Amino acid sequence: MFAKFLKTALLGIAALGIGAVQAQNYPTRPITVIVPFAAGGPTDVIARIVSEHMGKVLGQQLIVENVVGAGGTTGITKAFGATPDGYTIMMGHMGTHGAAPALYKNLKYKPASDFEPIGMAAGTPILVVARKDFPAKDLKEFVAYIKANGDKLNEGQAGVGSVSFSTCIMFNVLAGAKPTRVPYTGTGPVINDMMAGKIDYACDQIVSVASQIQGGSIKAYAIATEARSPALPDIPTTAEAGLPEFKVSAWNALFAPKGTPQDVVAKLNAALSTALNDPATKKRLEDLGGVVPKEGAERTSKWLGDFVAAEVKKWGEIIQAGGVVAQ
Amino acid sequence: MDALIANLSHGFSVAVSLSNLGLCFVGVVIGTLVGILPGVGPIATIAMLLPLTFNFDPTGALIMLAGIYYGAQYGGSTTAILINIPGEATSVVTVLDGHQMARQGRAGVALGTAALVSFFAGTVSTIVVAALGVPLTKLALLFGPAEYFSLMVMGLSFAVVLAQGSLLKAAAMILLGILLSTIGTDIETGEERLTFGFAELADGIDFVVLAMGFFGFAEILHNLENPETRDVVKGKIGRLLPNLQDIRMSIAPMLRGTGLGALLGILPGNGAVLGPFASYATEKKLSRTPERFGKGAIEGVAGPEAANNAGAQTAFIPLLTLGIPPNAVMALMVGAMTIHGIIPGPQVMTKSPDLFWGMIASMWIGNAFLLIINLPLIGIWVRLLHVPYRLMFSAILLFCSIGIYSINNDPSDVLLTALFGLIGYVFIKLGFEPAPALLGFVLGKLMEEKLRQALIISRGDFMTFVDNPVSAVLLLISVVVIILAVVPAIRKTKEEALSMS
Amino acid sequence: MQNLLGGLLMIAIAVIAVVQGSALSIGSLRHIGPGMVPMTLAAFLGLIGVVLILSWWRGRERVGTGRWPLRGPVFILGAAVVFGLTVRPLGLSVAGPLLVVIAAFASAETRWKEIIIFSVCMMLFCLGLFRYALTLPIPVAPWLIGY
Repeated sequence: MFAKFLKTALLGIAALGIGAVQAQNYPTRPITVIVPFAAGGPTDVIARIVSEHMGKVLGQQLIVENVVGAGGTTGITKAFGATPDGYTIMMGHMGTHGAAPALYKNLKYKPASDFEPIGMAAGTPILVVARKDFPAKDLKEFVAYIKANGDKLNEGQAGVGSVSFSTCIMFNVLAGAKPTRVPYTGTGPVINDMMAGKIDYACDQIVSVASQIQGGSIKAYAIATEARSPALPDIPTTAEAGLPEFKVSAWNALFAPKGTPQDVVAKLNAALSTALNDPATKKRLEDLGGVVPKEGAERTSKWLGDFVAAEVKKWGEIIQAGGVVAQ
Repeated sequence: MDALIANLSHGFSVAVSLSNLGLCFVGVVIGTLVGILPGVGPIATIAMLLPLTFNFDPTGALIMLAGIYYGAQYGGSTTAILINIPGEATSVVTVLDGHQMARQGRAGVALGTAALVSFFAGTVSTIVVAALGVPLTKLALLFGPAEYFSLMVMGLSFAVVLAQGSLLKAAAMILLGILLSTIGTDIETGEERLTFGFAELADGIDFVVLAMGFFGFAEILHNLENPETRDVVKGKIGRLLPNLQDIRMSIAPMLRGTGLGALLGILPGNGAVLGPFASYATEKKLSRTPERFGKGAIEGVAGPEAANNAGAQTAFIPLLTLGIPPNAVMALMVGAMTIHGIIPGPQVMTKSPDLFWGMIASMWIGNAFLLIINLPLIGIWVRLLHVPYRLMFSAILLFCSIGIYSINNDPSDVLLTALFGLIGYVFIKLGFEPAPALLGFVLGKLMEEKLRQALIISRGDFMTFVDNPVSAVLLLISVVVIILAVVPAIRKTKEEALSMS
Repeated sequence: MQNLLGGLLMIAIAVIAVVQGSALSIGSLRHIGPGMVPMTLAAFLGLIGVVLILSWWRGRERVGTGRWPLRGPVFILGAAVVFGLTVRPLGLSVAGPLLVVIAAFASAETRWKEIIIFSVCMMLFCLGLFRYALTLPIPVAPWLIGY
């Protein structure tokens, strides 16, 4: 009985080994995409939209698995330890592969060297938003006002490691402001308290604030992208509004664990690019304010690798300038 | 009024299309199923089904996903009543009297009452969402951090009423629950708190882990040791449906529960979890025979179940009108909407009236489906209780373990549940009740967060809780509730002391 | 006895919390630190523990603590622990029956032939329900089919 079990087990392991070698047949079974944030959030939505079409291209389903915690680093740590056979990949993010090393001193992975970058999926623009009766008519007045009023103002942020946490450190450093930072869990309650007038301003992703801006219950001073967003065509870019240094995106990109065969990574990269070219997928991403990388250099694995290295350096400097100590 | 009727009839015309009716039905069936399975909640299910909905139109997709959500509330009550396991925070209260009813051979009556009051509450709150959704949004905006903190304090004062034994022990369990909720990463500094160095605890303890440990596992241990209590369940079948007297006793609690649940459900920040607790506390206070509570009082099922379901519906108000999800399931609905290119918020009603009114109308249809599905099922559920316990307990254990694993796909959650099972077992042996600990746990996290936010915003001034009227009233209610509960208890102790000396 | 043991347990929990949280900053009212709420709660828990012990001391309570059989806790909780340890490496196909069989040791009424058949049936049912109907990503048999 036991011998038989052992034999079957060994056969199974052998079959696995063969599977890993024969990359030209890849994929022969479903691929797990670890998303380090809660289902329903911007990163999760982008991962689901992209993996839906990638699954069609690769002929195997991509299954999204949400592993949340510690600003996304829990999920990435788990994916980092997975077998590098192309059957476990992850959706990395501005936080997990950019700001994390400066925020978590016990981080188990190095974003720039411990992964095989697959490709950029989509970024979501960041907006500077404020309560609707905030006494400033444009970004220049706003910056002057928050600089002058110091910690009398309340800035809402969604917790250590969140996009609003890190990007608003960047904004405050650039604007020279030192507001009272009020910690929340998630951006929903921040926007709620902003509508009620208890929070003065925040930095947040377009998905979380677009509808409230259109409805007039909060106002936006600028969008931190190259070009205006089709979803909010009236909101000027930070460059137009006079703070060109504040350019930032909550980017999301696919990575595989270190040691994943190069031809597997290439297959995944090609599938991602095909998905991003698909009109329906592209429209879905753009409907939620997402910015899809242009075809060419920005779609390559190499570009993503260089980009991550630059991001880690950039966020290290910003977070240090913001006076935040790693925990 | 005319506008409301026009809007609702537009909604119904959308919702009764064959495909939308079908999706609604599928949604509530799946919802009932995952609600019944201990541990597997609507969050995991909706997340898994999201990709499937890519091919539907957004209205149909959201009708189905919403159906899963409120269907799970129905299903959750079934598990709570039959096997004493609260799958969700909102069914903790149902366990107290619902399971006692089942032990007395009145499982069918408890399930039937739950289904009927839920349908009533669902109908009323659908109308509330349609008619008052927009004006009620203002209520949500009245609640800043200070008001929330006071609301949570009021919720905890209900826990004192919930207690059946020693008030002191109940207080200890509440504090312990809050203490457990502080485990994990600090929201402000990102430091790990009370995690004993385990990375698995960095994100805190999941409610289901604690509830399964304290109720599910501990209940199995209790039953194995006391074969006589579970044999009571096996002995009688009893009536399958409530009779006239049951219904008469349920009407007033149902009305009050619906009102409380609907009101609390509107508050962003998961006010809906307070509904059943508030309803239970109210019924126990109003009852002329409060000693029946905790021993199978039908009011203790009717009120909280109505509140539970009303809250589940009105929780859609902040999502649909403000674009702010009040709980994790609603956050997932935001995701579902954005995947379909609809950004939730004040614009949805004007930009996509089909979706907005169609979804509201579908909620009523879904509730009707749930009643039709659930009433005949009661007979099957009650018969399930007759599976020999020697097989039943291992099946429950297996379902629980799989459910716990699938919350985060994390095996360490199963180990943690076993640990809480052990702790819960010891507590029960020592005369501590688990329900107040769960309430403390649910409210504790939000309470600390809001306390800190309120004090940061007021720059350290405690008067912020009294200066603002909403918060002051809530605190006043808590004080009154606690005095009403504590004074008789003290008097009783004194009398006992006198009679002994 | 209940109150004595209960009181001691509460004090023990309070002490553990204080020791674990000793490094956390208390902060000030203006800016509450991570340590303030847990430490306050621990202090109150400890206080309740003391009051419980006092009430035992004054001898007003005569409630015993009942029997403490070990068989149930060991096998029921042990079964869950084994499930947790095996579900990732071996999958539900192994961890499921294992849980049912170990848990069966907890009951004196177990019939072994029945429980073995039951364990396999339950495993197949759960695979169908959780993995295929609800499509939850629970491992099936990683050692055999890779997932």
